[in-house]
Amino acid sequence: MSTVPSELAVETEPKGVLPTGSAPTPARRVIATLRKSPAVVVSVGIIVFIVLLAVLAPVISAITGWGPYEYDPSAIDSDLGGIPIGPLGGISAEHWLGVEPGNGRDILVRVAYGARVSLMIAVSATLITTTFGVVMGMISGFFGGLADQIISRVMDFLMAFPSLIFMIALLSALPAGNRPVLLVLVLSIFGWPYTARVIRGQTMSLRNSEFVEAARASGARPLRIAFREVLPNLRGTIIVLATLAVPSYIGTEAGLSFLGVGVMPPTPSWGQMISTAVGWYAVDPMFFLIPGTFLFLTVFSFTVLGDNLRRVLDAGDAA
Amino acid sequence: MKRRTAFLGLAIATSLALVGCTASNAGSGSTGGVSGEPVEGGTLHVLQNTDFSHLDPAQGFDGGVNNFYRLIYRTLTTQGVGEGAKGTEIVPDLATDTGTPNEDATVWTFTLKDDIFFEDGTPITSADVKFGVERSLDPSISIGSPYAKIVLDLPEDYQGYYISGPLDTIETPDEKTIVFHLNQPYADFAAVVGQAPFTPFPADEGVTTTSIDQQPIASGPYRVTEYQRGSTLVLERNEYWDAETDDVRTAAPDSFEWTFGLDAATIDERMIADQGADQDAIAGSVQAASISRIQTPAIQERTIQGLQGCTTYMPLNTTKPGMDNPLVRQAINLAVDKQAVKDGTGGSQLADIATTMMPPTVAGFTEFDLYPSEDSKGDPEAAKALLAEAGYPDGFEFTLDIRNNPKMQAQAEAIQQALAKADITVDFNLIDSATFYEVIGTTSQQHDAAITGWCPDWASGATFLPPIFEGTQIFEKGNSNVAQLNDPAVNQRMTEIRAMTDVDEANAAWGALDEQIMELAPAVPLLFEKAVMVVGSNIAGAYAHAGFSGGIDYVSVGLASTD
Repeated sequence: MSTVPSELAVETEPKGVLPTGSAPTPARRVIATLRKSPAVVVSVGIIVFIVLLAVLAPVISAITGWGPYEYDPSAIDSDLGGIPIGPLGGISAEHWLGVEPGNGRDILVRVAYGARVSLMIAVSATLITTTFGVVMGMISGFFGGLADQIISRVMDFLMAFPSLIFMIALLSALPAGNRPVLLVLVLSIFGWPYTARVIRGQTMSLRNSEFVEAARASGARPLRIAFREVLPNLRGTIIVLATLAVPSYIGTEAGLSFLGVGVMPPTPSWGQMISTAVGWYAVDPMFFLIPGTFLFLTVFSFTVLGDNLRRVLDAGDAA
Repeated sequence: MKRRTAFLGLAIATSLALVGCTASNAGSGSTGGVSGEPVEGGTLHVLQNTDFSHLDPAQGFDGGVNNFYRLIYRTLTTQGVGEGAKGTEIVPDLATDTGTPNEDATVWTFTLKDDIFFEDGTPITSADVKFGVERSLDPSISIGSPYAKIVLDLPEDYQGYYISGPLDTIETPDEKTIVFHLNQPYADFAAVVGQAPFTPFPADEGVTTTSIDQQPIASGPYRVTEYQRGSTLVLERNEYWDAETDDVRTAAPDSFEWTFGLDAATIDERMIADQGADQDAIAGSVQAASISRIQTPAIQERTIQGLQGCTTYMPLNTTKPGMDNPLVRQAINLAVDKQAVKDGTGGSQLADIATTMMPPTVAGFTEFDLYPSEDSKGDPEAAKALLAEAGYPDGFEFTLDIRNNPKMQAQAEAIQQALAKADITVDFNLIDSATFYEVIGTTSQQHDAAITGWCPDWASGATFLPPIFEGTQIFEKGNSNVAQLNDPAVNQRMTEIRAMTDVDEANAAWGALDEQIMELAPAVPLLFEKAVMVVGSNIAGAYAHAGFSGGIDYVSVGLASTD
């Protein structure tokens, strides 16, 4: 990114001599700019809503009176293949978003618990890939030489891999065990090079910048330079990468669950619900639409937020 | 074991009361309706999701492919035509009658009809029948119906024609007579020679172990003219087949055309839409999701429904700690909510609740319910009491092997949910579809329970209870006694029943044994699944055959008009 040097200028300012205190901090400036964009406000609103839904899933379950695994045979018509009774997939005062055909489980409660699973997996995978990716990227970019050679080849190898196919194969072959943990691991293994590659490039350009030279000349040890001088300047990039990683992991998790190798039943998962709903699209489209809408909104919101963050961080430096 | 794949195959429905309704509706018209008389000629299309397992009758072994074999192959005897019990009756086919046993039913003699030919016009002789059986015993292909291996008097380590040479225990005194020597008295041998591995093949031609699977040699009314695995299969008339020699097959269409690899939902859409060539098409059972869409009178008129003749059940591995206690197994039997399992499978149109192991289509079926509950919804309180008595007052936990397929998962989730109410925790072990039966059939790999199904090879308890509950049938690999039940009293009784020479008495005894076994609760009978099939509007002579997992009998179906 061409804007990095100026970003450095802004961000190293507090560390320089004495903070002037008058200029807004970069974080405040970014937030102020983002708040002016209606798309970002709506996206953040949706993300907050989904997170609340996930966190409050047990509360929702208590309010509606339906557990995520609880069957309601009275809500489905056994004589018609188990379709939900009532319009729009059985939406009623009792089941606010209708019920699943074939068993009568409450869709709202399952979507809420599904959000827990999706977010938990996506956020965990993001944390792991970001941490690991940043460390690897910095080692590779900062020290260069043999370390860079090895890490770069590993990254090339992982990125050249048909990762989705490999994930499907790996997850089918592994014993059931703790699926969410396995998913996080598999997503992380194939996810970190994407972060590491960007970080490596940035670190390489930072390594030769004047303030690093200055730190080196003043006798700072390499580790100190890496963590105190280089890392803070990667902050914006890391935030953007992480924000954009979350939706991609949510999407991949849903995809794997859709294919039957992700989260195992009966644990609710959006991908699984959509997969089950495919056969019912003609008679019960709501069963498809509801989890589909939640998945779409979540991925969309994170993506919009991430894109805007990038835009603001890029442009903001120039301003 | 192959029998269970019938659940996947073209599974259609046997005729019970509901088919009766369809029949009487349509029967009031002239020749119209799905049950009317088919006319000669035309091409009948079959839409199918998966290809047939094997064209070689020594290898294929499920309801769908056995049904198909009757179009291109003939055996000494075969199953009858017609709904219900008429379809499962054993009738002569290539033979003039259903065989003549000696006094103790260990030697059986069959006489071949005249004017029976292969597709190239050579006459079918007793030597060809003998060769067909010997060929089918080759280890590389003998994965189909196992009865030839079980009852024929074979030299030790007999490895089929190509390795061990001809058999002395099948005699062919002349071209029309064949004599089988058995290793045990077997009153049901007439049904055994109707199994697919008894298909004749020309003894002197270049038939190898693999050639039949590539290019079958027809003895039935059709021959394979085009076959692209997984895509299409075309049958055309075998001009050397003589209808005079065949009381079973109507064989009305001039040709059959299969299209494989279609998505199940696509098949449903096409059958419901009934457009163009699909009016001349038949297909397997519709999905649960399509049930509500076929309720219009117009579509109901071309809908066939009935039992598959199989039992979906949950064997409980009686060798596992906890599961070895009959009280625990009885508690599980009591707690399962069969209504929920049925709803998950597609509701009342696609399944009936099972309380016995033997399905109603098997001769000797005796109805009983040892573990009753209100509306079959399970009785968690009674189950808890039994568990406490068994020494598990705080509940019980076990692992259930399930196949990675939506229907089985829905069934498993319903069981899990119902058992949770009785403090029984069920953990799932999800197994890939392709290896599922291999895993649960390997005693070292199976867990505490599984969800599987069993279909009889012919409508007798003899092909139903022993494979899944007899102690001597426990094998380390390819095990079908998944419950691993090895109860001396049950084993003893099975030996006694097999020695009975009166078939009716034996059938009744199998029905009673079913109840005796269920007292031990080695399994939870879940459902008698049904198939509901929509056929094209120009189809005639379609009915569900009880002997082929409820599939539409191919040899009777045809077109209503060829205009």
